Amino acid sequence: MTRALSSRSAACLWVPAWPLHCETLRRPELVGTPHALLAPEDGRRLWHLSREARRDGAKTKMTVSQAIGLCPALALLEPDPVFYDEQFAHLLRRLINVSPVIEPAELGRVYVGVDGLERLYGGPEEQLAVIVEAGGREGGKTDDYRLGYATGKFPAWVAATRARPGEALVVPKGDEAEFLATQPIAVLPLERDDLDRLRQLGLNTLGQLVALPEEALTAQLGNPGRAAWRLAAGQVLDPVVGKPAPEPIMQGLSYPAPVADSGMLAHTMSVLIEHALRNPRRTGWRVVSARVRAALEQGGSWMIDTVLKDPSADRERIAAPLRAKLEMTPPTGAVERIVVEFTDFVRGTDELQLFARDAAAAARAGRVGALRSAAREMVARMRRTMLYRIVEVQPWSRLPERRYALIAYEP
Amino acid sequence: MVPPAGTTVRADRLRAVNVPQPVNVVCDENGMPVAIGEEREKGRKGVREIMEVWVVHDEWWRPPGLNRRYVEVLMEGGSHLVLFEDLNTRTWFVQQP
Repeated sequence: MTRALSSRSAACLWVPAWPLHCETLRRPELVGTPHALLAPEDGRRLWHLSREARRDGAKTKMTVSQAIGLCPALALLEPDPVFYDEQFAHLLRRLINVSPVIEPAELGRVYVGVDGLERLYGGPEEQLAVIVEAGGREGGKTDDYRLGYATGKFPAWVAATRARPGEALVVPKGDEAEFLATQPIAVLPLERDDLDRLRQLGLNTLGQLVALPEEALTAQLGNPGRAAWRLAAGQVLDPVVGKPAPEPIMQGLSYPAPVADSGMLAHTMSVLIEHALRNPRRTGWRVVSARVRAALEQGGSWMIDTVLKDPSADRERIAAPLRAKLEMTPPTGAVERIVVEFTDFVRGTDELQLFARDAAAAARAGRVGALRSAAREMVARMRRTMLYRIVEVQPWSRLPERRYALIAYEP
Repeated sequence: MVPPAGTTVRADRLRAVNVPQPVNVVCDENGMPVAIGEEREKGRKGVREIMEVWVVHDEWWRPPGLNRRYVEVLMEGGSHLVLFEDLNTRTWFVQQP
């Protein structure tokens, strides 16, 4: 059993609207323009909006037609959840170089355990600067980052929500309760109805909430109320819990008779990758590097390896570069035993795991990949995108041409 | 500031679908379509039956407004078409309903 790493001091790095942040990294020309992402589950409604779009009056969950009415220059973007996952996996991978204690909470929000970092980097401000630097490498846009630093995850998260864009808020050790007392109750992990109920009772800040006995809140809201009171009082200072990367995962096969056919070897490799991905130790992690080694008939050995640009839990994505290497440098003799090894991993979020574990989602990711490459080829040949998606604009309109519209589809 | 709606259309902007297409329509004395297409074209087709007629007045707040007379017709050969006459310009269009 591997022991979990933990840290009481926490830095929370939060990028609100992570998907939008990823889109502006991919398409810098969007910066400063009104743009919005369509909701993945309902392409007629908006999901995340840029500041410029909000300024023009567009809001989350608004229909496309309403938003276009308010902001005619609004650029609409198709959501690309797999890309957002990949970008977050990259961020986690960079942060692990700062601290081994990394705990992703959701896409765009990650806790970094900072116990012991003062000897390496200096005080909290210096540590946060290192975190931003690590997170923002590879052309990252750091103005979107908000950072909180405190003892315990909850105060660090609240501090991040109170920080200005691109800035950090440090809560000195021992001041957690005092800091939390002035914060609005919206920061508590309670249902919206419960929060509304508390507001109706005249409770707007955590300080007002804590002034009540713990039992009073428990009587009103049950166990969530008790948990919320303790968080608000600063009694619960959850540590950041990191998970050590798993030991290499290996999956091997001995052939009954030595095999020299590269097609057979490629197929075996693919099957072994599939089996290795199903290993329970892999759950929660994406594969960064993999290698294939083989024992040859004459007694020699053969090995190929790959480092994935985009950490993945998808068989095809891992197998493709290995297959290419197999074609380029095939074994020098017949293979008696072949072993696939995953040697390096990066932590995934629960959201990311939806893609990693769910076969349908993995298939979807594969389809999107194929579609993306076809779309790229089309743009290269036709000089413009030829793929469009139909969205409802005014489905109730008596004028047929007002009911639907096309937006450029960029898979 | 809301940018003017007349800015250059970008690839990621909305594009209307089912835009009305102008069409040459021959009408009878009551203004009802009897044939569709250019006279010189061999493809000119006759209207077998008028199925339905309806009128749409919209955007009256933006003179001259939008005034259309829609006519659903059954063509010789059995196909259905929806035509409309723009009552402001007296021109005909074909459009999917």
